[in-house]
Amino acid sequence: MSSASRRDFLKIGVAGAGAAALMPTAGRAAGKSITMLHESSFIPAFDAYMKNTIAAAYQKATGVEVIYETTSVGSLPTRVSTITETGSGADVTMDILLTPFLFDEKFEDLTDIADEVGKKQGGWYDVAKEAAVVNGKWKALPFSNIGQLMNWRTDWFKEVGVTKFPDTWEELYEVGKKLKAKGHPFGFELGHGFGDNHGWMYPLLWSYGGHEVEADGKTVSIDSAETAKAIDFCRKFFQDTMLEDCLGWTDVSNNKAWMSEQISCTNNAESILYIAKRDFPEIGKVTDQAMNPEGPKGRFHFMNSISHSVFSFSPVKQEAKEFLRWLMTTNALGDWYNSADSYYQPLLHAYDNAPMWDVEPRNRPYRDALATAHLPGWPAPASPKLAQSVARYVVVDMFAKAASGAKTPEVIKTAEAQLKGIYQA
Amino acid sequence: MTIRSEPLIGVARPARRRPASLAAWLDRESVFSWLMMALPLLFLAALVGYPFCYGILLSLMNRPVAQPGTFVGLQNFITDFHDPVFWRVAVNTFVYTGVATLLKMVGGLCLALAMNQNFRMKNIVRALLLLPFIVPTVLSTVAWMWMLDPAFSVVNRLLIGLGMPRPGPSWLGNPTLAMISIIVINTWRGLPFYGITLLAGLQTVPPELYEAATIDGASGWQRFRYVTLPLLQPIILIVTLFSVIFTFADFQLVYVLTHGGPQNATQLFATYAFDIGMGAGQLGLGASVALMMLPALALLIVALTLYMRRSG
Repeated sequence: MSSASRRDFLKIGVAGAGAAALMPTAGRAAGKSITMLHESSFIPAFDAYMKNTIAAAYQKATGVEVIYETTSVGSLPTRVSTITETGSGADVTMDILLTPFLFDEKFEDLTDIADEVGKKQGGWYDVAKEAAVVNGKWKALPFSNIGQLMNWRTDWFKEVGVTKFPDTWEELYEVGKKLKAKGHPFGFELGHGFGDNHGWMYPLLWSYGGHEVEADGKTVSIDSAETAKAIDFCRKFFQDTMLEDCLGWTDVSNNKAWMSEQISCTNNAESILYIAKRDFPEIGKVTDQAMNPEGPKGRFHFMNSISHSVFSFSPVKQEAKEFLRWLMTTNALGDWYNSADSYYQPLLHAYDNAPMWDVEPRNRPYRDALATAHLPGWPAPASPKLAQSVARYVVVDMFAKAASGAKTPEVIKTAEAQLKGIYQA
Repeated sequence: MTIRSEPLIGVARPARRRPASLAAWLDRESVFSWLMMALPLLFLAALVGYPFCYGILLSLMNRPVAQPGTFVGLQNFITDFHDPVFWRVAVNTFVYTGVATLLKMVGGLCLALAMNQNFRMKNIVRALLLLPFIVPTVLSTVAWMWMLDPAFSVVNRLLIGLGMPRPGPSWLGNPTLAMISIIVINTWRGLPFYGITLLAGLQTVPPELYEAATIDGASGWQRFRYVTLPLLQPIILIVTLFSVIFTFADFQLVYVLTHGGPQNATQLFATYAFDIGMGAGQLGLGASVALMMLPALALLIVALTLYMRRSG
């Protein structure tokens, strides 16, 4: 190779690098591209629909390109932390559970859009406000709940004479005892996963009347007779109906156990039915879903909130807001929900009787559960302190320790000490 | 006269000599060595020094993610000391590191001694031994996850075959077994590092020493005890030092396999710090937990370095 051609090569290289460095800046300055960060969906068609259809439709309508970037399951909180710390990386982000309360200072106020969406789409569910309003401002636009419900094997329940899912925790316990004796134990996660543990333990606690903190968000209230009753129930529920392995489970474990036909009942999102129908059709046929059982103080569900926020440092925040406004008020929203069956349950009443609920009627309990769903830490408003309690597995470990044999007052005492350290610091 | 005048003229023109003196200056060992060190030092300062100092600063602040921090002195450390889980985590980390390091040291030495023998396909076996070390931790941990699942576990199948009632032990559900499991996996992963490094050390031992010892009537054990072990000692210490640091700060294995569960039985400093810093967004408090690794490691490093200097 001659020196001249090497020089040419260098020239091209330098010019190319320069252009590459300049291009995104130019594009962004003109407000032509928005990066939307999302956690990879368990339903691949959902991500594909946004990438290929919605983004393309929006670009055609407005000229603004939407770059839909997915991040692996479980890594979203870390990505959002990095983006807020460095002030760059995305313009819109998906929020999971408590994200709006941790990053509210770096999120735009979306109150006007939320009001407009609510008016046009039949109004918001109460729990949507619980999940997105921080200090009176909508810091996120609620998108959905990924509900956690009871998944049960109809064929095995039938073997012990049960054709309708038990209505109370005590009734479920009685059925579970019989099923375990027949070699079909229950399997509820009691380990350190992200969602399938909190998903049933907070509702269990609430349904016996217990809560970790008062509505003021400061007074720790875990030490109560109601909490003790919930713990005593959990201990016998685990010991008499479940596999020992549940204590060490993470979020994938119950899905694995379900598909390998080890368990007859668990608490999971709708993905368990979706995967069973797709990959194990015989199991899919005998899988059904039901709302959580009722306790002495009512029936409760877990709000595993999904929403969208706009970073206040984004150079295209106005364009990002307009995109969310368009997404949430046009047919695009319904189409996006449809692409995932009903894995994502809308928090807008306009979708209460949408055709998405007819595709798989076994998913309807997820819609019905929204009225009694709450964020963990309820009745206190969500806060960074609650995020600490969740990240440290305070409530999960309180139940899990009791399940593995520790005494009720002892586990409550430890949880109370932890919660006081968090809420009263 | 003219011959003598030349150097004099040269002295009178320092500008001409400057390049030569710069070259000479650069050629000086003290300058050249620093020059060579400059780049790595810059790297260390940027990639280790800065994060380390920033970590210390963070640990002294109340610094929620996405918010400006306020200086709180040692408050985060006081909070840690009042946290019952923190002490559990400290005990876990010491047990995990201590037992795993000991197992790796003994196992690695045995492995090196075995690999030092002559046998067929020696080189292939030596290369294969490195596999656990080469495979990305996350991948091998997922494989272990399947092997420890009661329904699919080869271990449980074997135990059930030997007469244990179904479904066999719950390796990750029982707190004690979960700790044993992560120690075993860490040992499996770290053994090749010990084995190969000690093997390299073994091969530097001059055969004459063994011959002399044999002539003096030393038994196999005595040759190992009085020839092999003393000569391997510096390498064992260095490997142990590295291994302790890696094991003490282990994250991936626990994060993938148990996420610290059940009931924090396998929670280590690194995973707990991550949960608090990233999960709960309390960067200051998380940094303080992570920094608690420092005193123990620093003491160990100083002790081992002193020991090596003394024996050196």
